[in-house]
Amino acid sequence: MWEGMISGMATGITTTLIPINIAMVLFGCFSGSLIGMLPGLGPITAVALMIPVTYGLEPTTGMVLLAGVYYGAIFGGSTSSILINAPGEAATVATAIDGYPLARQGYPGKALAIAAYSSFSGGTIAVVLLMFFAPMLASVAKSFQSADYFALMILGLTAVSAFAGRGRVLKALLMVVLGLMLATVGTDQTSGVQRFTFGSLELLDGIEFLLLAMATFALTEALLLVLKRDPSSDSFKPKTIGFKSLKVTGKEFKLIAPSVLRSSLLGFFIGVLPGAGATLGSFMSYGMERNLAPPEEQKKFGKGSLRGLAAPETGNNAASSGSFVPLLTLGIPGSGTTAVMLGALIAYGIEPGPRMFVERPDVFWGVIMSMYLGNVFLLILNLPLIPYFARLLAIPRNLMVPIILFFSLMGVYLVTFNDFDIMMMVFFCIAALAFRLMNFPMAPLLLGFILGGLMEDNLRRSLMIYDESMSFMWERPITLVINVCTIFILSLPLIRSMLTKAKDTR
Amino acid sequence: MAREKVGALIMLMFSIAYGLLATRIPLTFLAQQETFTPRTMPYALAVIGAVMSLAILVLPTTDEEGKHGLGKETAGMDWRTAIFLIGLMFAYGLTMKWLGFILASIFFLFIGFWILGERRWLLMLFTCIPLVLVLWVIMSSLLGVYIAPGEIFYQLGIL
Repeated sequence: MWEGMISGMATGITTTLIPINIAMVLFGCFSGSLIGMLPGLGPITAVALMIPVTYGLEPTTGMVLLAGVYYGAIFGGSTSSILINAPGEAATVATAIDGYPLARQGYPGKALAIAAYSSFSGGTIAVVLLMFFAPMLASVAKSFQSADYFALMILGLTAVSAFAGRGRVLKALLMVVLGLMLATVGTDQTSGVQRFTFGSLELLDGIEFLLLAMATFALTEALLLVLKRDPSSDSFKPKTIGFKSLKVTGKEFKLIAPSVLRSSLLGFFIGVLPGAGATLGSFMSYGMERNLAPPEEQKKFGKGSLRGLAAPETGNNAASSGSFVPLLTLGIPGSGTTAVMLGALIAYGIEPGPRMFVERPDVFWGVIMSMYLGNVFLLILNLPLIPYFARLLAIPRNLMVPIILFFSLMGVYLVTFNDFDIMMMVFFCIAALAFRLMNFPMAPLLLGFILGGLMEDNLRRSLMIYDESMSFMWERPITLVINVCTIFILSLPLIRSMLTKAKDTR
Repeated sequence: MAREKVGALIMLMFSIAYGLLATRIPLTFLAQQETFTPRTMPYALAVIGAVMSLAILVLPTTDEEGKHGLGKETAGMDWRTAIFLIGLMFAYGLTMKWLGFILASIFFLFIGFWILGERRWLLMLFTCIPLVLVLWVIMSSLLGVYIAPGEIFYQLGIL
């Protein structure tokens, strides 16, 4: 295994150090930071907006760019959380708890610098772990059959829903089902029969994944900005953040170092769980640090604690890297953003999973090794640019919203050159907006949509192999173990509520 | 009515309609003999969708945010601007072929800025025209993507 890993790393280094890939890591980190910084726009939107750019690129280069955009956007989100208390997405909400008060106390530069150092450390430690765990899991997964894949997809979809939050599990599962329903539109791959096309030629190939991702995230987020008239996104008067204010003392480094190490490990392992993602990583890291802190330090949490800022920042970046483990090895996305990346991989004609580890080591190792480079770029590029990046927040919403809408619509049109797609995007945007207003999450829908075709295919194959019997669900040991995990994850909310009730009665 | 119940009701109706439409999926003679047909997955999804929607409708709402009524949640929202923007996006799709990428995009951005309350004409022009032109140059000259000109140019005899 070690020989394979070393040769894989060599392949990854060679792939990453190609000038075009270095340029793409740089471009990805830069553009991801810019997009992620805009209030309301998170990594899913940033990655979706960048997909049209990658269509003209080699699959490895495209994936390297998207990975750069992903962690760039997470970092960018922290900047708007710290400066204006407007987290771009849920994963950076915990950063705002201590980051914003610290900025209000007159230390915006220090807060941003700690966020940058923590992100760098979390990302780098997680990539080292990723390098060891991904090949191990991939070699186990080589023995997987259609039945196991079907069970794994059910596990992934269930996990995304189970981690949606208290009282939101059923809603998330319903959105998964809606995504699966949308995936059945078009020509059935096996029989060639048309399903739900209503005689329209445009629907013969099904719904374009990019179109759905843009409509449900980029367009909807932009319209929500308009609808809610969030004053924090309206105007931000950037204070001058000098280079000197970015300085972090040795004592402060000593204070945050243990938190960073602990949160990196916790964040990574949470990220590996299908469906958990960066949000859970950041909140759990924050919670862990608050519990571990001595009483004096505990009082500072929520009022500008350095540890309280470093922990979630490290946790979300480590979890982002961790979420690449199920994506690259099993083809199961660990989060909404990796679901979009999975869609991009499928669009390149690459089927993610253990076979990718053997058949496309350049993509597999290229993405992993590019993350090292990405983390370094994020630090050396973004840290000095923070004062300038912050000025982007001053662009008025009047100009920003139409530009976001334009880039989203154009991103799809310039790939398909079909004006019907623009109409369909608007239709899906209206539907997604309605569901968002009714408090239904959108990431599970996208996940269901992306996995829908593969799921049906694997189910059909499993049924053929097992003589049209569902016994494959319990006869194969691997499938059985995965199914037990699914049942456990599904019953988690029930167990949690029972435990809470028992605690209350005591 | 809690807003998540409204969503569940819509999903229930959608699942029923989806299931009914699934009965119209044509089956070849060979497919009719098989257990797993192109209708199998849609049938299963329709049933699961309907059951889950019913569960949300019947079970008490535990999500605090989901308990709010839709009216309360959407009160004070700037619907007028949002509806204008949605209309603008439709118009963009309708005029794209006729006006071509450059003109349709410039109009889209310009009107979008105006809808959102921007009235500084020079700023609006100096934002949308260079942005669209730079993108067009990148796509057509650097990436070699052919973007067809609008039909209006042929009708006016310019091209």
